[in-house]
Amino acid sequence: MLKMKMKSKNECAGRMNALEVKGLTKIYPEFTLDKVSFCVPQGHISGLIGRNGAGKSTTLKGILRLIAAEGNVAVFGKDIIKDEMAVKQMIGYVGGGFRYYPMNALAAIRKAYEPFYPTWNQDKYEKFLAQFGLSERKKVKELSEGMKVKFALALALSHGAKLLIMDEPTSGLDPLSREEFCDIILQLVREEGVSVLFSTHITSDLMRVADDIVYLSQGKILAACPLKELLGKYRLGRFASLAEAAEAKAIGIKSVKDGYEGLLPRGTRRSNHVTVGEATIDNIIVHLEKANEEKRYAEAD
Amino acid sequence: MLKLIKKEIALCLHPTAFIFLSFAALVFVPNYPYEVIFFFSCLSVFFCCMMTRENGDIAFSCALPVKKEHIPLAKMLVVIGLQCIILLLVGIIGAIKGAILPAEQYVNQAGISANIVLVGNGAILLGIFNLIFFPRYFKKPDKIGVPFAIGAIAVFLLIGVSIVLRWATPLYSITLNGLNSEHTGAKIAALGIGIAVYIILSAISCKLAMKRFQNIDV
Repeated sequence: MLKMKMKSKNECAGRMNALEVKGLTKIYPEFTLDKVSFCVPQGHISGLIGRNGAGKSTTLKGILRLIAAEGNVAVFGKDIIKDEMAVKQMIGYVGGGFRYYPMNALAAIRKAYEPFYPTWNQDKYEKFLAQFGLSERKKVKELSEGMKVKFALALALSHGAKLLIMDEPTSGLDPLSREEFCDIILQLVREEGVSVLFSTHITSDLMRVADDIVYLSQGKILAACPLKELLGKYRLGRFASLAEAAEAKAIGIKSVKDGYEGLLPRGTRRSNHVTVGEATIDNIIVHLEKANEEKRYAEAD
Repeated sequence: MLKLIKKEIALCLHPTAFIFLSFAALVFVPNYPYEVIFFFSCLSVFFCCMMTRENGDIAFSCALPVKKEHIPLAKMLVVIGLQCIILLLVGIIGAIKGAILPAEQYVNQAGISANIVLVGNGAILLGIFNLIFFPRYFKKPDKIGVPFAIGAIAVFLLIGVSIVLRWATPLYSITLNGLNSEHTGAKIAALGIGIAVYIILSAISCKLAMKRFQNIDV
């Protein structure tokens, strides 16, 4: 497994972290989440990225103890196992859209939900409903996907959550709704100091809001660092032939329309046969995954 | 815990949980195996668990600020509450039947009469159902059919045993049968044994379900 050795500014020690995950491990017959460790600094938005099946949802579920996983999880310094109820009071969880109780009205769900949170703020909740254009008389099944996400957000934010954990909240949303979602998240971070960890594979959302990136591949952390640091680490090299790409030791060489592409660590000497451009997150993910895949095949052989 | 129980009642109870309570009135049907009434109570548990699954309630509850092991406990306490209500209703409606009908019409030709021994038998049936169903269900809350089928088979076998005892043994056909006012001491003892068995089996079931639920992946 190719592993990026980054001198990360996102090191957990020496700062107040909203979330610290250490050695989170979950073993399934077909998949292992392998000692995942990272942190979300207070007031930051961290994006959890990786291809389908990389372990993003497993990581989030492990953090919330929705699955029986090993490892330590601390929220604002409190251990989730020792202080499960206090920690969960600080967390607002949005599991994608709101997939629960489709036949129930929003009011019925809110009435069952709010007693669990002594800090529940009804005025704030009503303000969010008005802002999001939600009616409590509607049933969950009558809401669009975007509205479901907004309802989940309204519930999560009205009890004063300090840490928002969201599992692919923008999947299935149209571009306008995604933009609106990003605006809401930025507003929450700026105005209320909320910290956010959200998984996604829509990288444009990350570019829009994320401060940090946690990149998972095959159940392992490949990178956990500020977004700018990750983007600054690589450049995208375009080559006319495979031999030139191999000679330049490009990472994750891939055939494209006009030749070959691969990642070049920033600072490597540029040969005459390469055209270099800025690498996007998509480029970085695609080429690192390709490099990993090749390494796995080589090991299997 | 009270908040979880309220949530269960508000969001997870299937209407049949209440409708089947009214089946306690079946004790007025002449010559009917009255223990079947308690099977309907078990059936309502099945529907509630289906509703829990279709609503994604387990995942929703696990994200709430509650201890994970309290989630099965709350669900079971609601079921136990409903079971206590049906036992009570069968006892009360059976007593009313005894008070308003002649003794010869009160005696049940298909099984035990609607007296307090029936309540004791029902408690044993429900206790055994709880012990079989809940630990299996909370091990894999998405799989409801197999635990229910095993529980239902056990309940019907016990109903069969109860009917056989009614005809095969003088204890059941004479001493424990008929009006509550006859052989009252023996009937109270049978009721007490039934309730004790129910409490013990349900408590074991709760413990096992809570332990197994800790290890599930939502």
